[in-house]
Amino acid sequence: MSEVIKTKYLNPYVGGVLLGLVLLAANFVSGRGLGASGAIKSAVVTTVNTVMPSHAENSAFYTEYNESHPGNPMKSWLVFEMLGVLIGGFLSGAFAKRLKFKVEHFPKITSKRRLMFAVLGGILFGFGSQLGRGCTSGSALSGMAVLSVGGFITMAFIFGTAFVLAYFFRKNWI
Amino acid sequence: MKMRLIIASVLIPLGIIIAAVPENTTKPFRLTAGELLEEVCEGTQFVSTDEIADMLVQKDPSLQLIDVRTQAEFEKYSLPGSVNIPLSDLLSEEWSDFLDQGVKMNVFYSNGNLKANEAWMISRQLGFENNYVLQGGLNYWAETIMNPQAPKSVLADDEIAKYDFRKGTSMALGGGSMVAIGSKANNTPKPKIKKRKKKKKVAGGC
Amino acid sequence: MAPLIVNEIISPDTNLLIALLIGIGFGFVLESSGFSSSRKLAGMFYGYDTTVLKVFFTAAITAMVGMLFFSLFGWMDLSYIYVNPTYLTSAMVGGTVMGVGFIVGGFCPGTAFCALSIGKLDALAFVGGLVLGIIIFTEGYPLWEDMYKADFMGTPTMNELLDIPRGVFALGMILVAFAMFWVGEWAEKKFPREEY
Repeated sequence: MSEVIKTKYLNPYVGGVLLGLVLLAANFVSGRGLGASGAIKSAVVTTVNTVMPSHAENSAFYTEYNESHPGNPMKSWLVFEMLGVLIGGFLSGAFAKRLKFKVEHFPKITSKRRLMFAVLGGILFGFGSQLGRGCTSGSALSGMAVLSVGGFITMAFIFGTAFVLAYFFRKNWI
Repeated sequence: MKMRLIIASVLIPLGIIIAAVPENTTKPFRLTAGELLEEVCEGTQFVSTDEIADMLVQKDPSLQLIDVRTQAEFEKYSLPGSVNIPLSDLLSEEWSDFLDQGVKMNVFYSNGNLKANEAWMISRQLGFENNYVLQGGLNYWAETIMNPQAPKSVLADDEIAKYDFRKGTSMALGGGSMVAIGSKANNTPKPKIKKRKKKKKVAGGC
Repeated sequence: MAPLIVNEIISPDTNLLIALLIGIGFGFVLESSGFSSSRKLAGMFYGYDTTVLKVFFTAAITAMVGMLFFSLFGWMDLSYIYVNPTYLTSAMVGGTVMGVGFIVGGFCPGTAFCALSIGKLDALAFVGGLVLGIIIFTEGYPLWEDMYKADFMGTPTMNELLDIPRGVFALGMILVAFAMFWVGEWAEKKFPREEY
């Protein structure tokens, strides 16, 4: 309860209901849930297709991806959705006066350390999201809303692993 | 704390309601039993052997014959340009592009009416359009097109014209007799069907 | 009848516009709920801030209940909704790798974008890492292709797996979610942290 007063953030339950309504709208209109990492994959594939077309032809993944996703990968639902996330996040931050360039980190660690861990975490998350066919939003959240077994498994493993490993990384956070 | 209780008091009763009511299984895109019965009664799904023979002779590109008999029967004899979708395979994913499309006129045929009509009923129930049944099946086809009987001379002129047409088609389609069993001009590759935008699950994932 | 795109009520281009609008809503709600702060996200794993748990599960159950009711009223055909396919091995291994990434990096992809939009530079670093991670995956694809495609189970849903009605499972999930919220609020009292 106490943290609800001390932060200017939305009540988590209200936020959750709103997020649920957004997810519901996505399913209602487009028949699909939300996502995030897929947009980066589209960007990666587009870049490879443009910069190194011969590489894209010879590499198993790009060939498979381009075959199963005809058309321009950037003209995909997720890419537009992620552009929206950037706009929406910016608007919310602007209203709440949270727009500021900064490296947020636990006071006892340096910015450099925080950035290094962020990159490392990003690499792991990026890799894992491709292997697991979706990240927290695409697989776990959207998957759970449609009761997908895969969504529940991914969710359990993401949060389970993070809880188990939390102790080893506590110096970074607490 | 309070908000949690408010949300709980909304969501938990909703959850109880959803757990208590039966799952909604209506599929509004499908035909109701009544609508299907109406179509069956009217027999709109049937096309005559003459119509098909005419389309075959004209090489009408919109015609797609579908043999719903077993593969063995199909290999023994089939109509020109037909594909084999045994009734038991009707629902396999492989064929959904053939059956659920709005470009071609699919005509099911079997030996008689029965299997073809069953195939039509199932595909119609799924809401697919443009599917028809060859009236009388191959038996009637053999009787009317391949080995047409000369009408009695007392019959009306149009009967004679029909006979002439059938005789002509019979020649054109390599008929004369159904004994032409081994003739394997039927190994036609699967025709490419222009896909209508499929009513399928949209792509997803993260 | 929903989903609108499947039933050709809206065109694919409109769908992209809708995607943008939905993204704006997504980003706005994430940011307003505090998901733009990695310390808030990581707080969940140390018990000092369980916002993530609350938002995440409230959203999942809200959307789930909404869809079930839409289906009940005949507004939405659930058979056309994308259900994430289940590949057992890759879901478990991928989930584990993502879990490590979460505790190390403090973001997940969606929240990183959201944090990036308000100028968090650690989120920028995380997104850079994401790109690298995805490139590693795509470049080394033949190495893990077998694992990626192993144990394909189709698109089962939890209620099918447990062989209980969808609604009953939904009710169970709602009750579990509220039980977790209760535990979460208890943990926040037990492991308090000052303002950050």
